[in-house]
Amino acid sequence: MSNINGKVYAMNAITPMKPWKTVVLRGFFFLLWHVKPLQQDLINLSFIEFARWVVLPRRRFPFLGNGQVKEDIKYDYLLFFSNFNGTWNQYIDAFSAVLSKGLNLVWRWSEKFPGSVPVTPFKEYIARVQFDTDYYYTAYPQAAANDLKSAHIVQASLDSLCQRAQGCNPEQFADAYLRFVLEVQAHLGETGEAPIVF
Amino acid sequence: MSKLNETDIQGFVLRGYNLPVARYLFLHFEDAARARSLIGRLLPHVTTGQRWDGGKPQSTVNIAFTQKGLAAFELPDATLLSFPVEFQQGMKKRAGILNDTGLNSPERWDDLWREDRVHAWLGINAQSPAALDDRCAKMLELLQQTGGARVLASQDAAAVVIDGKPTTREHFGFTDGFGNPDYLGVDRSSQPGQGKLMPDGSWAPLATGELLLGYADEAGELPVAPVPHILANNGTFMVYRKLHQNLATFRAYLEGYSAHYGGGKEKLAAKFIGRWRDGTPVELSPDKPDSSIAQDPNRSTNITYGADPEGTRCPMGAHIRRVHPRDAFGFNGRLINRRRITRRGLPYGQFVAEGESASDAEERGVIFMALNASISRQFEFVQQQWIEYGNDAHLGNDKDILMGNHGGRGKFTVQGDTSAANPPFICSNLPNFVELRGGDYFFLPSITALGMLAMGLVDPR
Amino acid sequence: MPNKNGKVYGLTILSPIIDDEKATPSHDLQIRKYLATLPTGEESPFALAPGTHLARLVVMDDVIYVGMPACEEHLKSKYLVFESNCDGELDDYLSGLATSVPEHLDAIWSHCVGYPGAANRQAFVDYMKACQLETTFFFAAVNDKSVPETLRALQTQHAVANFIASHQGMEPARLQAEFTQFVADLKAAPVPRAGSMGQPRDIKTGGRNE
Repeated sequence: MSNINGKVYAMNAITPMKPWKTVVLRGFFFLLWHVKPLQQDLINLSFIEFARWVVLPRRRFPFLGNGQVKEDIKYDYLLFFSNFNGTWNQYIDAFSAVLSKGLNLVWRWSEKFPGSVPVTPFKEYIARVQFDTDYYYTAYPQAAANDLKSAHIVQASLDSLCQRAQGCNPEQFADAYLRFVLEVQAHLGETGEAPIVF
Repeated sequence: MSKLNETDIQGFVLRGYNLPVARYLFLHFEDAARARSLIGRLLPHVTTGQRWDGGKPQSTVNIAFTQKGLAAFELPDATLLSFPVEFQQGMKKRAGILNDTGLNSPERWDDLWREDRVHAWLGINAQSPAALDDRCAKMLELLQQTGGARVLASQDAAAVVIDGKPTTREHFGFTDGFGNPDYLGVDRSSQPGQGKLMPDGSWAPLATGELLLGYADEAGELPVAPVPHILANNGTFMVYRKLHQNLATFRAYLEGYSAHYGGGKEKLAAKFIGRWRDGTPVELSPDKPDSSIAQDPNRSTNITYGADPEGTRCPMGAHIRRVHPRDAFGFNGRLINRRRITRRGLPYGQFVAEGESASDAEERGVIFMALNASISRQFEFVQQQWIEYGNDAHLGNDKDILMGNHGGRGKFTVQGDTSAANPPFICSNLPNFVELRGGDYFFLPSITALGMLAMGLVDPR
Repeated sequence: MPNKNGKVYGLTILSPIIDDEKATPSHDLQIRKYLATLPTGEESPFALAPGTHLARLVVMDDVIYVGMPACEEHLKSKYLVFESNCDGELDDYLSGLATSVPEHLDAIWSHCVGYPGAANRQAFVDYMKACQLETTFFFAAVNDKSVPETLRALQTQHAVANFIASHQGMEPARLQAEFTQFVADLKAAPVPRAGSMGQPRDIKTGGRNE
């Protein structure tokens, strides 16, 4: 069992919500989805590969009969699954430092959420509501989100250079090549192993 | 915030003394009672943060302890176990986290550091070698009279002297000594660029709790600290690393690669660090050094990278950009504020001018000391994530060219533009320019805490 | 449609695990045991079947009690969480799994209530959909590239960095010739295998105090 595979960490969290609060949360997510500028900070933090929230209403736990006992609970639950780069501490420090308002808007509806600032009680809460991953797979363990974005830029630039290079004489090619290098020069970081999580 | 009581804080924490010579004695305590008596006798000599209105003293004395050192005083277990995990483990056990592997691994350290015997660091700084020897002799006398500790080894360090005057140069020829952070309440001559960036572009001091225990930190809380509070308050943690510099390798590498670099040798060297050899920030003066900037405190550290996101002036992986990214990660620099460290330290070994021969085997380098309220959140983070790794700087696994543990692999990219003097350029097959020869994590207590240690008065609750 | 973001699909499956007191070890522990030894690199079922960027399997024992004044409550069943970030349409993805790695799917999901087996592809897809939760909000850093495109781009990035480093200052005619060869070699190179370069991890836990 490990929460980590290569450069990416799988965090799972489950928090209880009073059912009336779930409605408010859905409203916020609707807004976040459709008002793209609100997602800008999340994009700029650039260490999340994929993340999702799943609202699980108390009556919607999958029920398949066949002897299964139906669930009978009072709270709705908010499931959170994140695939992020870096250490657990680094991840939470960063969110607490720059995205505290957004975090609060998502989790204030969960019972006993202490707020995302200051960071120590916030980390204690996450540690309490986090549960561990049994099996974690990534198709590209050696690449962080930044590596992926850079790789796609390099691929696109190379494809473009190949096109331009058709029927160039050497001088024209050298010029196109220089422009290509300038396009990719900020995107050539090596990929490989991640530092030890601590 | 409450005013700092400078008489309770060791002077070494609050300001760099700018004294040209130093000797660090590494002590081992055999017996708790005699160790206490030693600290008691030492206490009146310890230099505090009190201002020197009568001019600098001839010499200063400061002291710090490893976890094993504190344990030698027979402090209660509850206190010892309340110290941060990384401090309890010591730097050697954290080697994996710090990437102190290969050439930097503990098996290759100096004898002093390979064995787990260092209990305390006694730092003596002085105006001259004579003053240094004099103060050391007095300290050794105290050690002998009390029988409180043995000296395991000592380390000398001194500012590089050029043309008869001490400078802030280090062995590779770069001017150092910029970049120590400003903290709220710490009285020192400050410059724009040393604190934290505010939304309006000005610089404000960092929260005191980023340096000193017992004060609010940048996260809006009191940092986690050992108990009892009175033992921890006004104290801080110190990281000590002896960094050997492979001067011959560095010079040969620079010579070799700059022959193919359109900007020339000095510019390539400047691109490695982010400052020209005289200290001019490359970001402010990308084409040549400019002493009017380097020597102007209003400009020499007043740098932001917002106008240079692609690194065409100051490369994205340049040393000073890596260790103090300022606004390079966006969010008005808010991701940086809890990752700052205060550096003290001096070069050691004989300085060899450019053009004269040097060998990697000669003992020379820099004694690196970092002061911070949390070793794991500040120093270890910068070392692991920003020096030995590059993801935050969008550089993947690329390491800091100057200090990275390269092992002959890896690369450094100089981002450029279309001009012939500033071309894009890649340096490959990086050797270890710097090698770690040892070190450890220390706790630098307040004057009050030293008194408690001396009197055996530490109670965890 | 929140389950999708660009070209990536956010699949969240919550499968109730069979609760049988007579099973020794219990079904959830059997799943855990199987997952503990399942390869996470190139030999992972998710590397062998197409379309998975990142996926996890988690045995969720219960909800978590956050402490008073919240009420303590418990689930009647344990659940197997399957969270996948994958390419393409849901039906194709699930069918792909059933075709490529049926023995792994059966080994894991046979411990879950109402699982029909992967042999009957349609029944398998219907079962998964019956256990599917709607993703409320799905974030993806890169949402428009498939797994093979991504693996190829990473290979290209590495090769390009090496090419640029080894061709500095080369005169144009030779540069052009070598570039042409480089591109041909790169095109001919096989796409790297998914899940590769994952080293077996030394599990290290950090102290939670910082």
